[in-house]
Amino acid sequence: MILNVKNVDYAYQSQKKKQILKDVSIKFEEKRFYTIVGQSGAGKTTFLSLLAGLDTPVKGKIYYNGEDIRIKGLNYHRKHHISLVFQNYNLIDYLNAEENVRLGGDRNPKALLEAVNIPCEYWKRNVLQLSGGQQQRVAIARALASEAKVLLADEPTGNLDENTADEILALLKQTAHELGKCVIVVTHSKHLAEEADEIIQIKDGNLIFQTDYKD
Amino acid sequence: MNSFELAVRSVVRKPVKSMLLFLIVFTISLFLLSGMASKDASIATQDKARQAIGAGFLLAENEANRHIRIDEVLNRLGKNTEGSLDGVHVEKMELAGGTSWGISTDNSFETLQMADIEKIASVPEISDYNITTAVTAVNPVNFSRIEDDDTDQSSDMGGVSLIGNKKMEMDSNVLSGNVTIKEGRMIQAEDSDVCVISKELAEKNHLSLGDRLTFNDYHDREHSTVCEASIVGIYEVKQKMTPYMSGDTYRSENVIFTDLDFPEKAEGNKGNPLYEKAYFKVRDVDQYDSVKEIIRKVEIDWERYDLIDHNGNLDIMSSNFNDLEKSSQILIFVVLGSSCVILILVFLFWMKNRGKEIGIFLALGTPKIKILGQILLEAMLIATMAMLLSFALAPGVSKVAANYLVEQQVQQEKEQDLLDEGKVAKPFEELEQTVTGVTVDVSLQMLLFDSICISILIIFSVGVCGILVIRRNPKDIFSEMS
Repeated sequence: MILNVKNVDYAYQSQKKKQILKDVSIKFEEKRFYTIVGQSGAGKTTFLSLLAGLDTPVKGKIYYNGEDIRIKGLNYHRKHHISLVFQNYNLIDYLNAEENVRLGGDRNPKALLEAVNIPCEYWKRNVLQLSGGQQQRVAIARALASEAKVLLADEPTGNLDENTADEILALLKQTAHELGKCVIVVTHSKHLAEEADEIIQIKDGNLIFQTDYKD
Repeated sequence: MNSFELAVRSVVRKPVKSMLLFLIVFTISLFLLSGMASKDASIATQDKARQAIGAGFLLAENEANRHIRIDEVLNRLGKNTEGSLDGVHVEKMELAGGTSWGISTDNSFETLQMADIEKIASVPEISDYNITTAVTAVNPVNFSRIEDDDTDQSSDMGGVSLIGNKKMEMDSNVLSGNVTIKEGRMIQAEDSDVCVISKELAEKNHLSLGDRLTFNDYHDREHSTVCEASIVGIYEVKQKMTPYMSGDTYRSENVIFTDLDFPEKAEGNKGNPLYEKAYFKVRDVDQYDSVKEIIRKVEIDWERYDLIDHNGNLDIMSSNFNDLEKSSQILIFVVLGSSCVILILVFLFWMKNRGKEIGIFLALGTPKIKILGQILLEAMLIATMAMLLSFALAPGVSKVAANYLVEQQVQQEKEQDLLDEGKVAKPFEELEQTVTGVTVDVSLQMLLFDSICISILIIFSVGVCGILVIRRNPKDIFSEMS
């Protein structure tokens, strides 16, 4: 068990303390591919941001390898325990592909770019000159550059066509099953969700484990 | 990838953002340097002028005390007693209306005491001193004086005026800049029986350097001893010297400067001089006030004298430079103030436009302080380049700026003079003493000050704008990015 969410409550301060998560508890394992589904506004991204240490729960705790993530600090958690992939890639626009990957960590950027199928002639190009699929692959390479054991992805295929989305999905599955990471993906995509080892639905502030995708 | 590598890439690969800051810092630096250079130039010129003009003290007889002294001598002499005592002479005169008592004084009563002058001159802070005799009317023997043909000369004694000086260069007329040597030299302390005449007198009598002029007592033109003085210099004036008394004897062109001892000889009073004033030049003009205190402690009969501040044209000159200094100072403050506002706005613009980038770094676990550090580093890199360019151009621009400030000030003075014309009474026609230009240099100290000021401004501005980043919740940025 790499991540352990214990009795977490979360409410938006700005929306009259609207309760998003109610006493949620869940455990995430390494080498597993999880998808989080749910209706818009259900709290998927919020849950992901809690796991990423970008926000803190109102109540309850999140443990990484049995240690409360707040002990070493959320910055430390983000830097060493998790890596993030976003829907809109979020690459630094004044860096090339290789430099963006180097931001993620110390692992060899060229090997990572090769692993995510970015041809070497694109490595030195500014990321804005790459296609959406290529940019997302660079973002995944950046996420893999760190030694973090958890990869969190928020709608990673949301902006991609079907074929590219499949390639990204394959990469994520590979990351979980071959690289032994815990991959947690927030998605609306039925196809992506069904490829997961476990599907978690957020509904009315609760987490429901599913075997099939149910919207 | 460290912050420096990131900063360099951001600066180079986002040229529009960099260029905006570059131009702003360049302009700020240039204005600051110009302001400082102009201010420094005005201070330097002011100091030079102060040293050149000199500052000193004038020792003169106290008029009120003179009357007290006369009364004391008369008391000692006794009431209604004819006679002389300590330079005061009482003479009984029988007139048609009855008996009258005439009281007169001679040089020995009126003169400043040489012993007192020398005591003050021995103060170490006094670098030099001069003694000037009273204007002494004498008869010109072998030359003609300048006269106004339309004036009745019967009431005038028909003489010329002698002014004796220990060192002519410290005569008040010379110190004020009114009298300058046209030909020859000024009279020195070691000179004897020499004179410096006006160019008008020289022209009228066809006199030249080395010629000898003779004088005697105008009271007895026929029998009094004739004294001779050779001409060592010919002077000219910017404006006519104020006559000591009415009549052509005292008109400006007829004033002849001589060595200190000559006037007493020429008027037949050898050994009985009349020193009217003594000028003491202060060694370091910046110590002016403290030197005054020291002089005041010298043991002489101070009741007899007035110690007068004598700065020549320093006040007038200073007012010119002070205006320039003030203008420069205002320029510096305005530049600093407006720069602060502009830089804060620029960095707010930077932060706003770099929200996504900041969010990415936060998501990657980069501490906020490191993100701010990178932004500061970028700003400093751009600022360094901008400052280097401004350093190269500053000497030229500073000269233009300083001259512009001088022109503005001169223009302002002219306008003020026009406004004051006919409203403000002036005892004399003022000399032209306007600053027409200054030498401007950009020193290493200024460059250092400029660099420090701009660095502080940038650090402050980034710090103020950084509050936006520090206070921002990573979750909000994450939501925006999602």
